[in-house]
Amino acid sequence: MSRAKEELYERLANAVLELDEDLTKELSHEVIDQGFDAWEAIEQGLLIGINQAGKLFDEEEYFVPELLIAADAMYAGLDILRPYVKDHSTGNPRRVVIGVVQGDTHDIGKNLVRIMLEVSGFEVFDLGRDVPARRFVDRAVEVKADIIALSTLMTTTMDQMAEVIRILEAENIRKNFKVIVGGSPLSQQFSDRIGADGYAPKAALAVQLAKRLSGLVNAA
Amino acid sequence: MSAAVETDVKRDELTSLERVGLALQYKKPDRVPAAPLVCGASSRVLGISYDRWSQDPKAATASLLAAQGLIGFDGFLTLVDLSVEAEDFGQEVIFPERSTAYPNFDDPFIKTADDYGKVVSVDPRKSRRMSSVIEIVRGLAEAKGKDVAVMGFVYGPLGVLSQIRGHAELFKDLIRHPDRVLEAVEIINRVLIDYAIAQVEAGAHAIVLDPLYSSASILKKETWVKFEAVFISAVADAVRGAGVPVVVHNCGGGVYFDAVMEHINPIAISHAYPAHGSANWEEHAANWAKKVVTIGVADPAKVGHEFSQAEVLEDCRREIETFKIAEGGFILSSGCEFPPNGNLLSARTMVQASKLYGRY
Repeated sequence: MSRAKEELYERLANAVLELDEDLTKELSHEVIDQGFDAWEAIEQGLLIGINQAGKLFDEEEYFVPELLIAADAMYAGLDILRPYVKDHSTGNPRRVVIGVVQGDTHDIGKNLVRIMLEVSGFEVFDLGRDVPARRFVDRAVEVKADIIALSTLMTTTMDQMAEVIRILEAENIRKNFKVIVGGSPLSQQFSDRIGADGYAPKAALAVQLAKRLSGLVNAA
Repeated sequence: MSAAVETDVKRDELTSLERVGLALQYKKPDRVPAAPLVCGASSRVLGISYDRWSQDPKAATASLLAAQGLIGFDGFLTLVDLSVEAEDFGQEVIFPERSTAYPNFDDPFIKTADDYGKVVSVDPRKSRRMSSVIEIVRGLAEAKGKDVAVMGFVYGPLGVLSQIRGHAELFKDLIRHPDRVLEAVEIINRVLIDYAIAQVEAGAHAIVLDPLYSSASILKKETWVKFEAVFISAVADAVRGAGVPVVVHNCGGGVYFDAVMEHINPIAISHAYPAHGSANWEEHAANWAKKVVTIGVADPAKVGHEFSQAEVLEDCRREIETFKIAEGGFILSSGCEFPPNGNLLSARTMVQASKLYGRY
């Protein structure tokens, strides 16, 4: 890799890490103007930057605001670079339908999981917040998802997760999907009780869980 | 099983109010007070829909009184939902028939950073929802205030703002538009001072402030101090000035106890997780139980949804044991609101646990 290209990717990573959305956009345009490979810039610039931000989040150097803005910067760069990605095959990306269940609008945790899943190579279909159980199922069928990821922060809406599984079972399509759950009031006990395939107490662990359930890594 | 438990325990010697009052002073009462945060769950005692319970102060008051009669908890908390203040500042709120009310974030009151200027002062005694909570406090205090602790509730100014801007957008604005956020927080905080005082005047024995974002799971400590602590301290001072103690509730992970103590200086903290810097409950108790009264710490989802009654008893026994180090400064409770759709028998079992295992 040329020195100029290497430096540009490093600056791109730093722009994301330093929460500078404008600079991320500017550098992403520069990647295109210089004729560099867009996918390479995503992998070695944007994703490096957001991964470093995630590491700082784990180390309590960054907190939710910083991580959200780093993600905004990354997505801004992706919007510019994505149309120029050519002939890049990611193999067979696993698909995840994710959302916050009906009655709950707390979506920070869900957003963090979405970002980390995307960074890890999953194709993510984000249904947002306050999502009816039926919609999770319909969308998962439509996009042939591998995983349905359900989030809630409230005890009153936990049962909506069970409702998603009830619909899958009633329609004899339960085995087509892995269902994972997460959120502050949840526990492995709750996950087991409703018949989910997995529970993750933290965003980073949700990615490991998704990888394990979709066969991307071996169960350990 | 609860009938068997009743026959095994000594008769209480103090009223609930006396019991809670002594615990808040680190004086050992007859037993550990038990106050699972039964709020919305009370609606089911009288079979009232949640949306009515949330908006009809007479119905809510009657429900809370009936729940106290059934469960025997030692303190009322007038937490209706975290959108009470937000609606009065202009946010549209959705009231499900059988769940907690929440803001319609498809239509946030503050849509852009420029909209922070739309936040204007309101009179909590006249606005629809805050006045309703004030009436609940008054109703509870008049009916049971001589015997049972009545704790008012005020959501912190940054929390209120997050309910009218959207959580993620507000957090980003803390970095992108700090001055606009601070202006709005200041206006909201002035209203919250009035709101807290109105609850004291209505008969609250204590005011519970909820600075939810004083938590390492969300914000850096310095960020919380800058955007909320320096404001909410004025609410705390006003409450103390009105003659009643301040309690803090925060069900977030890794609460910054040091900063909360420095800026709010509550008499007690109600919480669900060990403080920031404490790896487990034993470490937390060693670090904090003698510095500030603990209210908690049962996992509400487990107690309300997962545990058998025997497991609830055992969980509470463990907590009482862990906080013996507090020398009386412990109130057994759920670390957050008792699940509104949880098993009410479990709340009653928590009270039974305090009678079985919490005698001093």
